[in-house]
Amino acid sequence: MNMSCEQIGELLPDYLQGSLSGAKKSMVEAHIAECADCRDEVAVWQKLALLPVEQPSAESRLRFEAMLHAYQEGRSDRGKAHFEPGRSDRGPAGSRSARSFWQWLRTPVGAAAWSAALLLIGLFAGNFYGARTIHGGSTGTSQEEMAKMESELTNMRQLVVLSMLQQQSASERLQGVSYSQREQQLDPQVTAALLRTLHYDGSVDVRLAALDALSKHSAQPQVRSGVLDALQEQQSPLVQVALIDQLVEWRDREAAQQLKNFEQKPDLNPTVKQRAEWAVSKLN
Amino acid sequence: MLQVRAGAGDTLGVLFDRYQAPLYNFYAKLTGDRTLSEDLVQEVFLRILKYSRSYQPGTPFRAWIYQIARNARVDHYRKTPKHISFEPEMAPPVKPKDEAQESQEAEMLHRALMHMPEEKREILILSRFQELKYEEIARLLGCELGTVKTRIHRAIQELRQVFRQLESGPAAAGSAAAPLAPAIPPRRVGS
Repeated sequence: MNMSCEQIGELLPDYLQGSLSGAKKSMVEAHIAECADCRDEVAVWQKLALLPVEQPSAESRLRFEAMLHAYQEGRSDRGKAHFEPGRSDRGPAGSRSARSFWQWLRTPVGAAAWSAALLLIGLFAGNFYGARTIHGGSTGTSQEEMAKMESELTNMRQLVVLSMLQQQSASERLQGVSYSQREQQLDPQVTAALLRTLHYDGSVDVRLAALDALSKHSAQPQVRSGVLDALQEQQSPLVQVALIDQLVEWRDREAAQQLKNFEQKPDLNPTVKQRAEWAVSKLN
Repeated sequence: MLQVRAGAGDTLGVLFDRYQAPLYNFYAKLTGDRTLSEDLVQEVFLRILKYSRSYQPGTPFRAWIYQIARNARVDHYRKTPKHISFEPEMAPPVKPKDEAQESQEAEMLHRALMHMPEEKREILILSRFQELKYEEIARLLGCELGTVKTRIHRAIQELRQVFRQLESGPAAAGSAAAPLAPAIPPRRVGS
């Protein structure tokens, strides 16, 4: 069947992202072979790969650290003058001078001056806060501040774990799992995300790591039930065995009945079946 | 206290290392201005520090971070509208011999992109360079999936048209640029 350019246009974005298959893909390809305009659209899209990947400058990381520092110093409002481009109280001239300042920082002399300034700031802050801690200067305000910062930090860590678990690369998802292990107490949202990973992650390694991270939080009821549920859905023998071992380690008696049902599964790997039988005998 | 400070830096640092390059590329391709792009990347991370609680677990993180990125740029343009201009500094560097033709094409593509209305340029960049799925773009722009695909297709059509006109010579390029709308600041979604 011949399709019009308009009809192809509806399919083209999916085709370009490689998410078309079967008949639809063949239709697009047949049309492209005949229609020069549509073929050229595909060609231009592909040519976009010629555009270079831009690399941020090395100073970018330093600026980030300085911004973080300024924020934590509670000077975020003043810090904004430097880090929020185009503030309304600054005219175009001010904006230009700030930009030429940043451009100056990119020169070798500027970068050296900037590094020295950062070092001084670091030394000063270290001394200042070190002295405050030694002299027991924990007034009500600083305790409050401390609690606020700790809560911000916990929140930030959760954000990092949740974001890393969504990455496309398995190694980054692994990093997310290992990051979650820094917390003594898992936030319910992080627990849920780890359980999702245990159930559905495409990589066996990431699923195993998620199980390992969850194993330390068996006190949370949803962790135990989540692990048990994962066993029913899991296809990989490696993960199945790890899940069974975990249930035995927890001495989860309630799991015994479900393990019995599990070992009756018709297409079960013999090694897994054997392991499940052993687990049932251990738990009873 | 110092530990907490170090902890926050360490933690946000993970996100910075993961996202600074994609965000920088997003801004650089969109604005054609490297200095501004670096400023805006810093602003995004300042906003993440301030508004980390506004992230709703279970929703796509990338869409959230790009939402912050778009808003940061919209706010910047609202405050300094004069900076919406094409700066040729972003044109890819000239390369020798075999790479010369590719380099020339890359430069022309860059120019073609910069000639396009900003909304079209943005959706092209998001879909082609930022590894965002159409569903994520739809969420980000606050529109239907079908609308995203239609807009992407129209943007490709326009890019192709401008690119081919630029390619066919400087005289044609002049006439190609004339009827095109100047870059306009995007509207903030939901407002």
